Amino acid sequence: MARRYTLLIAVFLLIVIGLAPVIAMFVKSLFIDGKISLASYGMLFQSKREWQLLFNSLLLAGSITFITVLLGVPLGTLLAKTDLPLKRLFTILFVIPLIVPPYILAIAWFYCLGRSGIVAGMFGPKIGAATSQFLFGFPGTLFVMVSTLLPVVIILMATYLRMVNQKLEEAAKLSAGWLLVLKRITIPVIAPGIFLSALIVFILAIGEFGVPSSLRFDVFPVESFVQFSAFYNFNAATAAAIPLGVITLVILIVERLFLRKKTVQFKITKEPIIIVPLKKAKPFLFTAVSILAFIFVIVPVGVLLIKSFSLRAYNEAFAISTNSIFRSLLYASIGATCLVIFGFLLGYLLERKALRFSYAADSIAVFLFALPGTVIGIGLISLWNTHATNFIYASMVIILFGYIAQYMALGERIMAATFSQVSHSMEEAAQIVGVGWVRRLFGILIPLTKRGLIATWLVGFIFCLRDLGITMMVYPPDHDTLPVRIFTLMANSPEEVIAALGVIMVVITFLPLYLLGLVTR
Amino acid sequence: MIVEIDNVFKYYNKIPAINGVSLNIEKSERVVVLGPSGCGKTTLLRIIAGFIQPDEGKVTIDGLVVAMTGRCLVEPESRKIGMVFQDIALWPHMSVYGNLEFGLRAKNISREKRNRLIDEMLEKVQMTHFKDASPGDLSGGQQQRIALARALIMQPRILLMDEPLSNLDLDLNLLLRKEILRMQEDLGITMLYVTHDREEAFSLAMRVVLMGHGRIQKIGNADEVSKYLLDLSM
Repeated sequence: MARRYTLLIAVFLLIVIGLAPVIAMFVKSLFIDGKISLASYGMLFQSKREWQLLFNSLLLAGSITFITVLLGVPLGTLLAKTDLPLKRLFTILFVIPLIVPPYILAIAWFYCLGRSGIVAGMFGPKIGAATSQFLFGFPGTLFVMVSTLLPVVIILMATYLRMVNQKLEEAAKLSAGWLLVLKRITIPVIAPGIFLSALIVFILAIGEFGVPSSLRFDVFPVESFVQFSAFYNFNAATAAAIPLGVITLVILIVERLFLRKKTVQFKITKEPIIIVPLKKAKPFLFTAVSILAFIFVIVPVGVLLIKSFSLRAYNEAFAISTNSIFRSLLYASIGATCLVIFGFLLGYLLERKALRFSYAADSIAVFLFALPGTVIGIGLISLWNTHATNFIYASMVIILFGYIAQYMALGERIMAATFSQVSHSMEEAAQIVGVGWVRRLFGILIPLTKRGLIATWLVGFIFCLRDLGITMMVYPPDHDTLPVRIFTLMANSPEEVIAALGVIMVVITFLPLYLLGLVTR
Repeated sequence: MIVEIDNVFKYYNKIPAINGVSLNIEKSERVVVLGPSGCGKTTLLRIIAGFIQPDEGKVTIDGLVVAMTGRCLVEPESRKIGMVFQDIALWPHMSVYGNLEFGLRAKNISREKRNRLIDEMLEKVQMTHFKDASPGDLSGGQQQRIALARALIMQPRILLMDEPLSNLDLDLNLLLRKEILRMQEDLGITMLYVTHDREEAFSLAMRVVLMGHGRIQKIGNADEVSKYLLDLSM
């Protein structure tokens, strides 16, 4: 009974914190001046601009997904499954852009390719104008977003490749070379995993606000934000958010129909992964991977470091952002802790199917994850911006609600995967001798899932820390975080200070990872 | 002589999994390696297949040295070896036909010949009606027949079988044992079979190789090894 109530409370909070704001937003958008009206929606697709935005959003997200998968599948295979030299170093390098907030990479590329950037300084203003033209608009946004989201495919490829039963490959290896085995056996076997990674990339791409906004490519999340914060037009902002909600729903349905059963077939095995020898292709592939790592990671990170290379820049950066840094760390830590608690309970619910509506709860969490941050932000404001709930709306709680709503699915899925490795009988053995739920929770389940809990906290921390979409929409006065601070200062602060802030952002993101490394050493 | 294993050692974390094994297998012979879990019998099979390399010693197939002291001289796909795995390992994303066709296509065999070979093989394992079925739709016994067909269709010089019947119930185990015997005798194929089950070993083997702690403890026919084990237990 106690178990049931705990899980019911978790689901109730999921609905209140996550789903209710989205519903409130939708309902509110149907009213104009207290009367039911579809005028906002009527206006939505009457102008050519709205159609253009929809086209831009889909084109950008589709192109990002296509290129990311095209690069990520071979790259992930090379890094996870071959004897490529320095592959651990390459893996760490390629993961960095996922940890760094995407718009900081955009800033770095602006310093490199902008009209008065490093390239222009080296090759003259004509070249600078050309690189700037490339950067601002579709190609630049696409390029920066590919570099940010490539790690998603690489990490998932590595995870799924590890789960392939090595006997399947060995059986094929008896009659074919590695290239054919990878092409016809390994990659097709993990195809559902590749499809899932494509879906995640698409979701993250279509909801991205920072990069398109920095590089001036008009997409729906930017439109919502502009309508809301520049024109204070709530209805227009909501109406602009709805197409994204619909696209998200479609993605969710695709995931439910085609992927759920296929991806859960994969189980983590303790068998070692078979390493493919690259032989003669090794120097060529090593060079190719090095070039990609140089372009996607070393250049932008190097530019930030070079640009901010002065004590004055860091002094000034700290002077204008100490409070924001502190708040960022505090909110991300609390957010990550909340995500661990929710992730644990909802992951348990999903994996153990402890309540009848386990899948429904999972669907809500995944839907919220897929929803762009700006949309969740508008939802939170719709629900909590009332006199009675001002204590939520005007405090850090609204930011935390946003984090929980958006990132709950991450914790839930990590913990569900962790629970799948813990035999049911572990808990049942305690239950049968009369140990109650709370004791089982603290004595059995939490100790056995410790690694998953730590992983959830870290992933949660990183995502909360780098969040811009939600925080930008909902942060109350004096509650801005470092990403928001950088974003608002970007337009009119010295470049070296912004670069220094970018470096500080990267360092504080790595801080918990480093501390964890020290603890687990 | 089809296979010659010459003083082979294989270490894991400095502990020998194979500790100086020498074994010769003659053409059309049916050799069963018998031993408890962890005695090194699967490691030996995987060394012959070429999935792992011996740290010391050499492996010769049909007069050609295929592996020697840590080096793979001939890749698994060029050794002309067939293998049936304990967990069957049929490719789940391909039909029965696709599973049988994969190796033939890799060897650039024409479509007509592929189709003919597949039809003949399915007939041999009595699975003609399951050509288009997905492995997931087959029973355990049917899957094992297809796994056997997949190995045999490549006309290997030697067929390696890694406890192929251990996951099946007793009735099916007995039935498939008979079929394996029939097929081996019909095709005259050389077979190296690994099992921990004495009864299975004695019923299948022309020669039993008893292994323990990475070493060969006794080689002989079923009666000789059985007597050796009996003496040992007394």
